Amino acid sequence: MSMVSDLAAIVGEDWVITAREQTARYLADETADAVRPRPAENVVLIKPSSAEEVAEVLKLANREKTPVFVRGGGTGICGGAVPIADGILLSTERLDGILEIDKDNLMVVAGAGVPFGNMLKAVEEAGLFFPPHPGDEGAHVGGLVACNAGGTRAVKYGVIRNFVRGLEVVTPTGDIINLGGKLLKNNQGFDLMHLLINSGGALGVITKVIFRLCPKFNSSGTLIISYDERHKAINTVPKILQSGVVPLAIEYVERDVIEISAKRLNMEWPAKKGNTFLIVILTGDSEDEVYAQGEKVSTICEGNNAVDILIAERREEQANILKIRSEVYSSLKSNIADVLDITVPPASIGEMMDKVDEIAAKFNIKIPTYGHAADGNLHPHLLADLVEKGLLREVKRQIYAEAIKMGGVITGEHGLGVIRLPDLDLYPDKKMWELMRGIKAVFDPNNILSPGIGVL
Amino acid sequence: MVIIVLVKYVPDMSRVRFDVDRGRVDRSSADLEINPFDLNALEAAVCIKEELGGQIFVLSMGPRRTESALKDTLARGADDAFLLEDRKFAGADTLATSYTIASAVRQLGHFDLILCGEKTVDGDTGQVGPEVAEHLDIPHIACAYELNVTRENVTATCDIGMERCTFKTSFPALITVTKDINIPRLPTFRDRARARQMAVQMMGAAVLSGNADVTRFGVQGSPTKVYKVIVPSGEGRKGKIFRQASDEAVNEVSERICHLVSPNNGAGDIS
Repeated sequence: MSMVSDLAAIVGEDWVITAREQTARYLADETADAVRPRPAENVVLIKPSSAEEVAEVLKLANREKTPVFVRGGGTGICGGAVPIADGILLSTERLDGILEIDKDNLMVVAGAGVPFGNMLKAVEEAGLFFPPHPGDEGAHVGGLVACNAGGTRAVKYGVIRNFVRGLEVVTPTGDIINLGGKLLKNNQGFDLMHLLINSGGALGVITKVIFRLCPKFNSSGTLIISYDERHKAINTVPKILQSGVVPLAIEYVERDVIEISAKRLNMEWPAKKGNTFLIVILTGDSEDEVYAQGEKVSTICEGNNAVDILIAERREEQANILKIRSEVYSSLKSNIADVLDITVPPASIGEMMDKVDEIAAKFNIKIPTYGHAADGNLHPHLLADLVEKGLLREVKRQIYAEAIKMGGVITGEHGLGVIRLPDLDLYPDKKMWELMRGIKAVFDPNNILSPGIGVL
Repeated sequence: MVIIVLVKYVPDMSRVRFDVDRGRVDRSSADLEINPFDLNALEAAVCIKEELGGQIFVLSMGPRRTESALKDTLARGADDAFLLEDRKFAGADTLATSYTIASAVRQLGHFDLILCGEKTVDGDTGQVGPEVAEHLDIPHIACAYELNVTRENVTATCDIGMERCTFKTSFPALITVTKDINIPRLPTFRDRARARQMAVQMMGAAVLSGNADVTRFGVQGSPTKVYKVIVPSGEGRKGKIFRQASDEAVNEVSERICHLVSPNNGAGDIS
């Protein structure tokens, strides 16, 4: 009780919640049920309103040796937002101010608890553009940074990391530090800011973010390129990139999966021909520029046996295509045991998909696979029946092993969270994890912040 | 079968801003695009043409900057596109607009069917389609969500609020369609690229003067005068904290939910 009253003294009585029915929705994230970690029984939810309050909470937690878990929008899918030990669950949702849109420097300054969709809207209303789009606009700005979110638009502009210019962070011991700033160059010692990006909440609580912005593009078009066979589609991707055209996104999907998503949304997948598809988003300063790119891409795809190439230019039609693609995971989720996030060198993606097929054939199972084709980032979906058959871990590890063998990683954008940690033994380089544990100990000597998440 | 599809270019309503002080739409704040209901009309025309053969003409009225966007209709299956563009057409209300369009339809010559969206997303009057039919003195059917077209006649099923009605008419006729009639298909890249090179035929007031009264065009022919437009301001989210569960809190929450679900009724039993 003393801890609760101490917390109330810091954040205010209204922002300390202990009743289970009120904390329940904070105890899970979007991780598939079969692999989502179980939340601890005794969790106090707090909602601080400033970095100073966060700092006081962390000082208290260190004194009391009480774990603190950090939660943003709860949209992650690797268990990283689940409080897995008794302690404090710190929601950043009240740090929800868009503090500045600096048109001169092309930067936005936002509190960690700003929902991504709100930030996008504010940036767009200012006539600017934030390129990365991890999919779920309910994600919070701080979470995007803590997880280094990826998404569909990484081909042209890169992932969240490429747009973070500054962070306000509360260290696990309760100090407030500012890393980076509205700067394009910064060589002032080790780059702690980039260490915090993708730290999964283990090295500090991000309370404020400065993102770089871009001028808005004037024209865009989304191509749906249909093929009757996967290899033809996948083999086209490196050729598009080698042509000099750099699309905003290149996604790969198959008909059976994408139609499930469209049906769930009460929409219709526009492409009637073919069974496998590339979704290619082109942007430019003018319609002419987009069409010049489209001409190059179409010629390459036709030369690789594409059976149809459609174009969407209306904002609503383009948004619908992206919506159907973005909702694939949600559509399949009830039947999914785990969604993987392997990433291999881009040119190896076809080979990796073949390996996934071989593993599926060996176990006589189905593994729907789609992903960010130009990034080498694939999402094989391990279906719920693998749990009943007792095959989940084995199938997963065989896929991981193949990815690592190709020079890849087991997660390209979702992060390690909780659920990927048990499989790190597959990596041959053990020293890497030892160094990470050392860094964690320097930042967080009492192992207070997010213990068991993001690092072994 | 000769089908004329009426198309209007409207601002992208998801982006457009309103000039609250002057009570008007700031049309420069968003791109222009085909009124979405008119896309449904074009798709319906293409389906009819696929079954019965014929030609599809698209007719639009607006500024010259809509010309390049109008080419999208050529990629989506129209054979020819005409743009009514003249300063004399500016400031037209629905009456002057429908009169001008009807005059252009006469100028185009023979047709069997005119299709258009039930309304536009900017004006939202739903008047122009039926008014065109009245000027042309042909039958019209509004808000069709299902069409069955033969060479002799057309049967349209319409949504009129709580009821569905089926109407049948011979040609020529005008039908307005709802968004439920179809899902417009996407054009192929090659068709769209080809359409960008095609010409849209421009029609000015002088071209129509042979069979129209030019004083009925534009602001001169518009009896509608807009005195004031009020743009409602967004209310934003509000919150209220109930510190303890109590009957009073439960009652207030239930009353507010009931009001949201059914604003015209008092609080009901939601147990």
